[in-house]
Amino acid sequence: MADIIEEKVKNYRTAPFDARFPNTNQTRNCFQNYLDFHRCSQALSDKGQDVSPCDWYQRVYKSLCPVSWVSKWDDQIETGSFPGKI
Amino acid sequence: MVVAFMTKTLKNHPALIPLLVFISGGTLMSGTYLARLALRNPDVSWDRKNNPEPWNNIAPNQQYKLFAVNMDYSKLKKDRPDF
Repeated sequence: MADIIEEKVKNYRTAPFDARFPNTNQTRNCFQNYLDFHRCSQALSDKGQDVSPCDWYQRVYKSLCPVSWVSKWDDQIETGSFPGKI
Repeated sequence: MVVAFMTKTLKNHPALIPLLVFISGGTLMSGTYLARLALRNPDVSWDRKNNPEPWNNIAPNQQYKLFAVNMDYSKLKKDRPDF
């Protein structure tokens, strides 16, 4: 699984179609991928495994999310006031 | 009682029957669409404790939209890493 993901990250162009978010409003897509990146990192590092499969989520949210949102959420995670469940 | 009143009125004014048909058809359509939105929409979560993110329960090739133009859902497959 890990090498498939690595290949996908290497050939990454843009965020693929996600059936969970089929409409024009992709806000939730952005937020979900941000959450998934952090949840994935936490879950894999808790298990002691390599965190590199989570890079897929990071590439997707970096494609979708406005930079201001990402920096705001990163600051919130650092101060501990992030509203989402990680 | 309402049914008796309705049948009596319609028998005396038969031109009102198409009106009844179309108005009740319209009410039914909007009612079913609202019910579909309330119960099937993956953005709606009725039970926050047991089903907090219902949009994550959709399969990668499941279609929610009524009419999806230019999108072949049968060819989609899951491409996100597991964790």
